[in-house]
Amino acid sequence: MDFTFTEDQLLFADNVKDFLRAEVTPQSLRRSWEVETGRNPGLWQQLVDLGLSAMLVPEAQGGLGMNELDFVLLAQECGRVALAEPLVETALVATPLLSSLAPKDDRCGTLLAQLTAGKARIAVGHAANGLVCDAHIADWLLLPSGDQIHLLARDQVALIAQDSIDPCRRLFFVEWQGSDETCVASGAEGVALLAASLNRGALGAAAQMIGLAEAMITMSVQYATGRIQFGRAIGANQALKHQMANCAVKTEFAKAPLYRAAYTLSRRPSHADFAVSHAKVVAGEAALLAAKHGMQVHGAMGYTWEYDLHIFMKRAWALDKFWGHAGFHKNRLHQWLMNPNAKIGADKTFGVQA
Amino acid sequence: MKLSFSLEDEQFRQEVATWLQENLIGEFEKLKFRGGPGDEHMFPEERKRWEQKLAAGGWTCVGWPREYGGRGCSIEQQVIFYEEYARAGAPGRVGHIGAGLAGPTIIAFGTGAQKSKYLPGIVAGTELWCQGYSEPGAGSDLANIRTRARFDEAGARWIINGQKVWTSLAREADYCFVIARTDPGSVAHKGLGFFLVKMDQPGVEVRGIQQITGTSEFNQVFFDGAECNAGDIVGAPGDGWKVAMSLLDFERGVSTLGQQMQFQNELNEIVGIAKENGAARDPAIRQRIAKAHTELKIMRYNAMRMLSSQGSGAGSLQQEALIYKIFWATWHRDLGELALDVMGAESQILEHGPYQLSRLQALALFVRADTIYGGTNEIQRNIIAERGLGMPKERWQR
Repeated sequence: MDFTFTEDQLLFADNVKDFLRAEVTPQSLRRSWEVETGRNPGLWQQLVDLGLSAMLVPEAQGGLGMNELDFVLLAQECGRVALAEPLVETALVATPLLSSLAPKDDRCGTLLAQLTAGKARIAVGHAANGLVCDAHIADWLLLPSGDQIHLLARDQVALIAQDSIDPCRRLFFVEWQGSDETCVASGAEGVALLAASLNRGALGAAAQMIGLAEAMITMSVQYATGRIQFGRAIGANQALKHQMANCAVKTEFAKAPLYRAAYTLSRRPSHADFAVSHAKVVAGEAALLAAKHGMQVHGAMGYTWEYDLHIFMKRAWALDKFWGHAGFHKNRLHQWLMNPNAKIGADKTFGVQA
Repeated sequence: MKLSFSLEDEQFRQEVATWLQENLIGEFEKLKFRGGPGDEHMFPEERKRWEQKLAAGGWTCVGWPREYGGRGCSIEQQVIFYEEYARAGAPGRVGHIGAGLAGPTIIAFGTGAQKSKYLPGIVAGTELWCQGYSEPGAGSDLANIRTRARFDEAGARWIINGQKVWTSLAREADYCFVIARTDPGSVAHKGLGFFLVKMDQPGVEVRGIQQITGTSEFNQVFFDGAECNAGDIVGAPGDGWKVAMSLLDFERGVSTLGQQMQFQNELNEIVGIAKENGAARDPAIRQRIAKAHTELKIMRYNAMRMLSSQGSGAGSLQQEALIYKIFWATWHRDLGELALDVMGAESQILEHGPYQLSRLQALALFVRADTIYGGTNEIQRNIIAERGLGMPKERWQR
C-alpha cells in the first residue's frame, strides 16, 4: 500500500509547474482574448516538444508510455494557471482513444504519429458535452454518434462557434454527416471507448478544478492579508479565515479521491466509474466553494473584470459542467452503491476492484 | 392572524395591475424584465422615459407622504405595488436611488429649502440620483471615509475632494449624495457630513468599472474641487454618519420586499428550462428547486409577518429587515448556481458575442455581488450577532 507519487512523478510535475507558471499568466490569458483563435501556436509547440501531448501514448507508438497517474498532477498544474490550450483533452482523452484504435485502423495510427510530432491537432466530442472545445484549431475531430465513433477532417464538418462565458474557452457545435468510411469504432467497442473517454475527460476536469481551487485560495489569502479595514488585515477576521480554512479542507480532501481515480483508470479502466465520479463530484465542490468564498473574501474587487479572480472562477464553473455535471456523477455514485453486488464492505476500500 | 390583504388593498392591487397593463406597451414593451440586477446598463434612455411615464401615473414615490408629492401608500400597499410591478415585468427603475434613498432621507432630515429644491424632480422622474458612500479604503469599514469637504467662507460653499467607488448609475445621475469628512482631524464616524452634490460640474469625473459580467453598471466617481452650495448639506457638519445610517435603514427596509416577485419570475424561468431540457428529472436538481421554492416562501411569509408587527406598533420592521439581507442574498446566489446547473454545459454559451449574456447568465454572475454590496454576509452576521443578539463587539483599532 503506497498512496504517494514517485519522486520522478513529482519532479516531472514540478518542472511542468515551473514551465507553465512562466509561460501562462493572467496577462498572457488576457492577451489571448484579443486573438481571433484565442490560442498560441508557439506555446502549443513547446508543450508538444516537452512530450506532454503524447504522454499517454505507448512508446511503441512514439509516445512517452506513461499513464493517467503520471498525468494527473500535470492536469492539476494546467488548472492552476488556467491554461487555455487543450492539453488535457488532447493528452488524456484524444490520444488514448487514437492509441486504442491505431492497431486496426491505419488512419488513426498515422494521425497519432502526426499528433505526437506536433504536425496535427485533434478535437474530441462527447455526448456528455454536446459542445466541442477547440474544434477551430483541430485538423481532425473524433465525434460520437450513438455507439459509433467517427474520425473526420475539419473540412468535412461545419463548425458553429459559440461564445463562452469563460473568455478563454472556444466552444463549437459541430454539424457533420458520418459514413462507413469515417466510422472508426462501433457496437460494443464504440460504447466501451466512449465510456473510457468520458472517464478520462472527467478525471482531467477534476484535476484542473483542484488546481483552480488552489489558485483561487492562494489569491484570496493574499488579498485578505493585504486588504486593511477597521485598522487591520481583513484576513484577521475569523469570518473570512474560516471560509478559507473550509476551502483548504475541501480541496485537500478532494485530492485523495482524485488520485485514487487516476490510479484505477491506469490499472483497470473498465472499473473506474465510481472512482472517477467520486473525484469529479468532490473536485467540483472544492472548486465551486473556492470560487464562492474567494469572491466573498475579495469583496467587490473580485467582481471586477480587471481583477484576475474571475478568470479562474469562470473556468471552474465551466469545467464543473463538462464531462458530466455534478448531478450526472452523483447519480452514477447512487447507482453503483445501490447495485446488489456493490463492493462496499470495510475490506473493499482499496484494491483495483473497488 | 389573518393571512390575506384587505379588500381595499386588493382593489389597490387591481388598480396597479391595470395601470401597468395599459402603460407598459409600445416603446416600453421591450423593457419588460430588463434593467434589473446585472442588466442595469440596458436601455437607460428608454428607462428614463419610463420613469417619467410612472410619474405621470403618480407611481414614482408611492410610499412618500402626499405633501411631498408621494401617493401616501400604507406599507401593505407599497408591497403590493412592488409585487405587481415585478409581476408585470416592468423594468428596473433608474429612479430608485432618488425615490428609495435620497428622497426619504431629505424628507426625514432635510431643510424646507432642500425639500422644495430636490423632491419635485424625484417625484417627476426627471432628476436621477446616485449614492456616494464606498471608497477604495472604505468598504465594509464604511466609516473610514477619506473624501474631504472644506468650507470656503469666501464663496459660501463646500469644496469636495476625494474618490467614491462602486457607484451605480453615476453616469445617468444628476445628483450624488456624498459622505465626506468635514472635520479634517476626525476619525471613523465622527466629523462627517452628508452632501447633495450636482454631478454635471467640472470637479466631478465618472469612470466605469467593468465587471465580471463584461458590463459597467458600477463606476468610480472622482471629486476634484467639486462644489456644493452651503445649503446643500443634510444635517449639521459632523452629523453625516447619523444621516447616512438612517438612509441605510431605508435601503434595508420596505423597498426590498417587492423583489420577491422578481425572484419568483427568475425561479419560474429556471423551472421552465428544467422541464424542457430534462434536468427536472434529475433528483439532485429537483431537490434544489424544491428548496429554492420553499425558501422563497419563507421570505414571502416573513415579509407578511414583518408588515403585521409593523401594524401592531411593535415597530420591528427594521429589526427583521436586518436579518433579511443575508437570507435573500444567499438564497439568490444559490439560485444563480442552480440556473447554471439546470442549463448544464449549454450554460457556458453566450447569447451572442461580444460577451452578451442571457438573462439567467447575467443573473448567475450578478448574484455574486449580492452577498457583498450593501453590507457583506460577514458584516450582516456581525450586525445580527451584535445588534440583534447583543453579543460582544469586536475590538477595532484604527
